[in-house]
Order: sequence, then structure tokens, then C-alpha cells
Amino acid sequence: MIIQLEPQSDIPIYTQLTNQIIEGIATGFLQPGHSLPSVRALAADLGVNMHTVNKSYHELEKKGIISIIPKSGAVVRPRKEISQEAGHAERIFAALRPVIAEALVVGLDQQQIEKQLISIIHDLKEIKS
Amino acid sequence: MALTILLITLAFLAMTQTAIPYLVKQTVVFGVSIPEGEAKDDKLAAYKRTYSLLVFSLSALAIVVFWIWTVSGNPAEGQLVLTGTAIQFGIIFLSMALYFYFHGKTAKRKRTEKWGEDLKQVKITDMSARSKDEMLPWYVYLLPIAVTLGVMGYTATQYGALPEQIPTHWGANGKPDAFTAKSPLSVITPLIVLFCMQGMFLGINEATKRSGIKISASRPQASTIRQLTLRKYSSWFMFLVCVLMTMLLAFLQLTTIHEGLADDAVMMILPVVFMLVVLIGSIVFAVKVGTAGHQAGEGPAAQGIRDYDEDDHWKVGLFYFNKNDPSIFVEKRFGVGWTINFANPKGYFLIFGPLLIILLVSYSS
Repeated sequence: MIIQLEPQSDIPIYTQLTNQIIEGIATGFLQPGHSLPSVRALAADLGVNMHTVNKSYHELEKKGIISIIPKSGAVVRPRKEISQEAGHAERIFAALRPVIAEALVVGLDQQQIEKQLISIIHDLKEIKS
Repeated sequence: MALTILLITLAFLAMTQTAIPYLVKQTVVFGVSIPEGEAKDDKLAAYKRTYSLLVFSLSALAIVVFWIWTVSGNPAEGQLVLTGTAIQFGIIFLSMALYFYFHGKTAKRKRTEKWGEDLKQVKITDMSARSKDEMLPWYVYLLPIAVTLGVMGYTATQYGALPEQIPTHWGANGKPDAFTAKSPLSVITPLIVLFCMQGMFLGINEATKRSGIKISASRPQASTIRQLTLRKYSSWFMFLVCVLMTMLLAFLQLTTIHEGLADDAVMMILPVVFMLVVLIGSIVFAVKVGTAGHQAGEGPAAQGIRDYDEDDHWKVGLFYFNKNDPSIFVEKRFGVGWTINFANPKGYFLIFGPLLIILLVSYSS
């Protein structure tokens, strides 16, 4: 799986990294139970600071998407295990709310937003198969 | 004999210096990163051509003059070696001077043409590249290290039989020409030096393995092949040098213990064979790495993006300083092989630590 970062973007690098790893899991490139590269290896490959990768991994851990196990590193958690935990839906819908609000303010209508939402879900599932 | 060795090394040096612009990554010209679309620029091609032509013709001229001088003037061996070495430095100095000149010109051309300023700069990595890495594991080095320790042990058992004068240097005729008094330390000094070198090689192998696999955003496939080829062949080449060194030094130690083990012809030819194998090995290495990924790199490159411009981290295009990058070694920008990340102190320890021990041991015995 290719990870592509834009160091000059307004989005912090660790957030870009987190988003791409989540997308990699959603599309099935990174399967549950698989280990992510070590912090040092990924930082060296990307030529970024180890703290950046570390911050991203901890963010993923906080979201419950990976678990950081001493010695074996960062492992993608099984979907079932993640979905059994409470609070994920609230967190995600809360994060979605300002984006939808902004979409309405800039003049996108409900139909457009719904269409786009379906197309994104379709995209992510398509790559998997 | 000395003349043959000198001529071979001079020819080898001239050849490699001439070929460098064509063996490095196509998107780095004289140490300046150039976006994929501009890499085939006519002016840059002319810079490379001029560099190679000048290095080649001036070195060839120096070598021919040197050869005629030795044949007609019949100089003493000391004078011959001195002049040959001076010419080696001359070739290195010439190519460095030309490098700096063209580095400046390339950087200026990039600035005035505003190359890549409208492209989005990205950094990429392939998470699956690490699983394709074919570098040798660290434990293969245990084999030459075991040989060293074995010969050390054998020397200890034969201590009484060793001569009172231990050879420390061998002349071009294969006979020892410098000696030191026998002592428990002096009899194994060469083996301690060998041991340190082996440790250094092992450390470099591991540090290289942990250093980043750098992939180019415009040509991910071709650059992955090149990086993996560079890693694989440098680890093989390093191991080859380590094994050869072990064989040579272990053999010399055995000839010290058992005088007359090898006749003069063998002693004379051995270092030459050693040198030839290393030279041929390095040519194979340079060509393998220099041409790796060329085939995969012929298709269209990714549009609208380019690699993150690291020119600021590369002082004069030669010295890499990046304190964010945990890599200890990175691929050279001008030349085939590796250079150290000067902002990472671990690299200094790895290179200077063993050298310091070697110097200490050599001068204290």
C-alpha cells in the first residue's frame, strides 16, 4: 500500500498519515491482525520525524482502530472487537456535523451530499474486492 | 608489479568518475533534484556530457603520460608509487572541481527556469516494500567472525613457536619489510583490527537495513526496484569484502606462525587477486544499481506531483543533514552507494568508533 504525504499542506502530517492508514484498513489493504511497520522504519522510509509517526499511531490507538502491543508493535484490531465498543458512532457523527454544516453553508444540497456519501462508501468497498 | 597495480587502479578510478552522471538517479543531476518532466532537459544533458568528456580525456592523458614516463624514464619504485598516488588525487580533485562547477550551474538553471514550482510536493512510501528487502541478515557475519576468533585461539596455542620479530607490513614483493617485537598483544594485533572491521561491517549492514527505503513519487515502481537493488547488492558486496579481508588476514597470520607455508609467488599474487576481485565486484555493483529500474521507468510518470524537494538538506549536493530523518545512511546523490546522515550522531559512532579502536591497538603494540 502506497502512503502519500504532502508536507506543505495545512493538514498536519500525522493527521494525513492517520487518515491514510484508516483508509488502508477500510479498503482492505491492511487486514485485521496485520502489523503496521515499526515507528522507526516508517519514519525512515518517509524521512519524517519519529514523533510524527508515533503521534499518528497513538491517535489510531485512541480511536480503537489499532492496538499497540509491547515488542510486537502496532496491530490492526479485528472489526468485531472494534464495533463492540461504545462511543464510536457518537464520535464520528459529531465529527461529521461541522462538515455537513459547512457543506450546507456553501450551498450544497441534501441530494448532492447524499450522493457523494454513497459514492465514497462505494469507492472504499470497491477497492477491497 | 607496482606499475600494473597503479595502472589498474588509475584506470578504474578514471572510469568510475567518468560514468557517475549516468549511474545516479535520473531525477538528481549534479546533486540537485530535478522534477521528472525536466530530467531530460538538453542543457542538463550537455552538462553531464561535458563533465564526463573532460574527466575521461584529462585522466586518460595523465595515465598515458604516466605510463610513457615509467617506461622511458625507468623511475625508482618509491618515486613511481608517489607519482601514481598523486595522479589518483589529481583525478579525484579534477572531478570534484568539475562537480562543484556543474552543481552550481544546475542549481542556477533550476532556479531561473522555476522548475517544479507549480507541482505539488509529496513524500511517498510503499508499506509492502520492506517485505521485499533482500539484505543479508546480520548473523552471516558470525561466520567470518568465528574464523577470526579461531585463528586468535590457534595463535595463542602456537605462541611459543612464533618468531621473536612479528611482521607488520609486507612489501610489493610479498616479503615482510617491517617488524615489531613479540608480545601477547602484538601477535594478535592484525586479528583485533580484523575483528573491529568485521564488527563495523555488521553494524553498517544493520544500520543500512534500518535506514529508509526512499521511493520517488513520480516513479514509485522504478525507484522501488532501484532502492531494493542498491540495498541487496551493497549488503552482498560488503559481505564479499569482509570475507576476502578475513581470508587474506587469516592467511597472513598463518604464514607468520608457520614460516614457509606459502612461497613468495603466492604472497605476491594474493593481494593483487584480492584487489582485482574487489574492483570487479564494485564495477558489477555500480552497473547493477546504476541500471536497476530503468526498464520499469520507461512508462509515463505521475502527473502534477513531484518528490519533496530535499535540496536544503543536501549541502552542496553531497552532505545530507536531516535531523528529522531517523535513517543513518541514505543513497548518495552523486555516486553509487551510500552516504551518512550527518545530523544523526549514531552514524559517527558506527564509522569512527571502530576506526578509533583500530588506531589505538595499532599504535599501542
